[in-house]
Amino acid sequence: MLRVTALRMAKSTTLTLPALAGCRIALALATDLYDTLKHNHQLASPLTSYLNLQEGVFLFKNGVNPYSGGVFRHSPILLSLFTTVIPTSRRLASILWTLSDIAGAWALVQLWRARQRAPQTSRDGLVAAAYLLNPYLFLPTLALSSSTFENTLTLLSLMFAAQGNASLALVSAAILLHLSLPSILLSAPLILLLSSSNGPLSQLASPRAFTPNDKKWIALLGEYVAYAVFLSVISTLVSGGLSWIPQTWGANITLPDLTPNVGVWWYFFTEMFDHFRPFFLMVFSVHLIIYVAPLCIKFQYDPLYAAFVLLGVLGTFKAYPTMADIGLFASMFAVFPELFPYLRHPIVTILLHLHAALLMPLFHHLWLSQGTANANFFYATTLVFACANGAALTDCIWAGLRIAIGAPEEGFSVVQE
Amino acid sequence: MDRIRTRLRAIFRPEGDQSLLRLQRRRKLVSALTQRVDLIKWSFFLVGYLWMLALPSQQLGRGIYIDENALQPGQVNTYWNWGDVAAADRYLEQLEGLRDANASSHLRASTLAAEFMKLGIPASTQNYRFSSSVGTVEGTNAYAIISSPRTSGTEAMVISASWVSRIDEANGALNLRGVSTVLALAGFLKKYSLWAKDIVFVVSDGHMDGMQAWLNAYHGRTQSNLEADELELTSGVIWTALNIDYPGHSFSHLGIFHEGINGRLPNQDLLNSLTWIARWTVPVIIYDHLETPRLQIPSWMPNSLRDEIRTYDYRSRNVLRHVKHQARGRGSGVHGLFHQFRIDAFTMFALPATGPHGFHALGHIIESTLRTTNNLLERLHASIFFYILTASEHFLKIGSYLPSAIMISVAMMFSGLKVWSDSAWVMSSDEKGSTWIQRRRPVLPVLVIMFSTHILGCSVFALTKTSWFINNLKTSSAIILALCGTLPLSALFVPKQNPHTVAPMSQLLKALNLCFASTVISITTVVNFSLAATLAILLGIPLTVSLSSSLLPLRLGQYGAYLSLALGWLSAQEEIRSALWDWQILGVWFAPFVCIVYTPLVLQAAIACLLPV
Repeated sequence: MLRVTALRMAKSTTLTLPALAGCRIALALATDLYDTLKHNHQLASPLTSYLNLQEGVFLFKNGVNPYSGGVFRHSPILLSLFTTVIPTSRRLASILWTLSDIAGAWALVQLWRARQRAPQTSRDGLVAAAYLLNPYLFLPTLALSSSTFENTLTLLSLMFAAQGNASLALVSAAILLHLSLPSILLSAPLILLLSSSNGPLSQLASPRAFTPNDKKWIALLGEYVAYAVFLSVISTLVSGGLSWIPQTWGANITLPDLTPNVGVWWYFFTEMFDHFRPFFLMVFSVHLIIYVAPLCIKFQYDPLYAAFVLLGVLGTFKAYPTMADIGLFASMFAVFPELFPYLRHPIVTILLHLHAALLMPLFHHLWLSQGTANANFFYATTLVFACANGAALTDCIWAGLRIAIGAPEEGFSVVQE
Repeated sequence: MDRIRTRLRAIFRPEGDQSLLRLQRRRKLVSALTQRVDLIKWSFFLVGYLWMLALPSQQLGRGIYIDENALQPGQVNTYWNWGDVAAADRYLEQLEGLRDANASSHLRASTLAAEFMKLGIPASTQNYRFSSSVGTVEGTNAYAIISSPRTSGTEAMVISASWVSRIDEANGALNLRGVSTVLALAGFLKKYSLWAKDIVFVVSDGHMDGMQAWLNAYHGRTQSNLEADELELTSGVIWTALNIDYPGHSFSHLGIFHEGINGRLPNQDLLNSLTWIARWTVPVIIYDHLETPRLQIPSWMPNSLRDEIRTYDYRSRNVLRHVKHQARGRGSGVHGLFHQFRIDAFTMFALPATGPHGFHALGHIIESTLRTTNNLLERLHASIFFYILTASEHFLKIGSYLPSAIMISVAMMFSGLKVWSDSAWVMSSDEKGSTWIQRRRPVLPVLVIMFSTHILGCSVFALTKTSWFINNLKTSSAIILALCGTLPLSALFVPKQNPHTVAPMSQLLKALNLCFASTVISITTVVNFSLAATLAILLGIPLTVSLSSSLLPLRLGQYGAYLSLALGWLSAQEEIRSALWDWQILGVWFAPFVCIVYTPLVLQAAIACLLPV
């Protein structure tokens, strides 16, 4: 029975992505969930919300600098696109967002194929489904959160890097950097991936030292910086000044907007005395940075895996996360099936996620609509969510390292010294 | 000192390979737990169910208190007097005239509005019409607003009475004295300049429908099946509401009805204020339960035990009544509709009796309660929204009732995880002896089954919403029963797989079903504890005890038992009718919850019995 389905899947695999894409477009057209989801704090943060984007576009069109207030925190690139090329009709927007998701799914499938070094596999359809049917991803898309674009760009840059197309990978990464500052941390595994001799192939089972090619990675880094600087210059020209920097990038570090989100920062900083703020802002920001080097060193033989784990870290600990960030991490599991037999507690992680995913909207409703609960309830569930992500991360790191030791044998166990 | 240190060291950090010791320690702990997992599971079940039984006990919970200092209940002189009582009597005569003349809703409402206007209070009426598959309801509400003399009227409090009383499940007895109290209060309250909030008087038509239409219009919410006039007069944000229900000609006790729709409760401070204010004049009870002993307690029992039994008997009635109102999400009266707009409200029910109280006592208490809510500087907000009133002066905090349902859900989670981890291993015996071998656990087909049962639930719900379903309740329930009963039988034709390489689907389905049911229960506890407790009773042990067997009769028998648990509600036709009415008119999500969550969960357990072992 299963084998039959597998065979059928292999035949229909070329059709799965278009079919799912068609379903998604139909969903976007048939249901208009935007109005019910637009104020949902789990799906869009102040940095990615479509409401704020519309506000900024309106201000800009009326000759007011959108970055002079405290509302608009989108990149000038999005501002220029939405004021000129892309009309701000809702119907079109929902199609555009869905198309972005489809591009992301396509990139994920390409990434999977590149990792398998196969032009086509039987799991392609499953990988596409893991991205297109993931509620953590399609709900933010229906809410028109710009985190959808961030995910697509992340996947595109990883895909181009996996295919060895350095310039396109770095251009996507530079655009991504403009949409979301924390993605700068991803540049490390990305450059490692571009300069590694194995590319995206799974090396988890046979770790070996990475021989750095100084010239190459410095050139790649230079290229990345050049693109980023070029885009910054364009942004400055578009917005007519440097005021976009503190409003967009700066917001990730100074946390000016304490609107609740699924992350762990907002509540902590609402409770904090003002004179401790700078110190803890520094601690929280540095905390994100400290993961980069250890992950890149430990997984130097498989930089794609390091990027995957780092995406999980960012989705859990960055300043303004949405469901989409952790959704990307969850969907990327599909690219690493070699991991599954070595995960220690997948069902516990999934159940934690299930609890968090159901409790978050519930407590959000109890707190802000029904008025019977308070902020602590919602914060407690974001902590459950963070624990679920933490459990997934530690399990991933364990499994990623454990593969190298080989299949478990009767009478032996593996311990970490 | 050193000796103690070395001894401690020997215990906590013995000599030898630390990793090995840690490994052994972990092994020991894990095996100690896994060997006792059944014991743990059943003791969780036992403690959970016993805890539920203990909820009405005197030993749990505590006496009520006022948390919000601004309220200051009972600190004022009241001025309601016999003159006002006489006014109420005259209004009553007029209303009785309307009743005897069989006046239409519209005439009634315009007469009431005219009476308000005679008092110099701006008043108006509102026509409404609800259409649903169960039938259409229409009527006319009358309302009036006294503007606050002291503030700009950004906040308001509501005094309301519905035309139909809640007595006998609102089957048509009129709330004439409640309405005349509202009218007399309007004339009385207008004379005082101390109101810091607008006072809105609403006489709603029907029982629940009128107030739903009025509240929707007041808050500008549209409902697709409601045609209602817009309100001509509006006021500020409503913080509190009192609903008066006085169906008899005199009363002996004031009963508090507080459950709102969808399980929402009002802030307890509001109820406590009434209890506090009324305690020297009228005894306050909850619901219409009088503390009359029902049991003959044998005389040999010691007094303390006798007292415990008597209070347990009384409080258990209250708790069961609470569960009855809250679990179905219906709320216990008109006040329940206010809760959806974040307004704290309750119904004062004047328990019909031959005496001794009447308009005089009621007016005093309402006046004082209004003065109390008038003191509020912000919305009632302290977190005493989670409670169970076991008596008017005794309640259970969240910590003393929530764990009972949570424990059962934890026990279900443990059983699910045990089945899950057991399914990974199979004993294989050959000539060398028997060994445990690991096997695959394909989750995807199981998830597809679970998902399709929920889709089936959605389609059942879509079917129940049609008017055809309501009009032919007998045939349509038979069709639903046949549909849900035969579709899962296709599970019998799923081919059996080699149990040495692949875990049987029945086991995996049971594991995931238990885990999911446990999640649903523990999450529901915070929104609607009564519903969660009911689910814990209905699902807890039944989902856990299913036997996996290869005997076809046993499998079919279990399937039948689960099917009747899943679709037993089809036999309660009146219940279905009112649940559907509640969903369509008031937005109570009990009906969709049963169809989309509860029935599929039990169906999954039923399918697990049919799948090959």
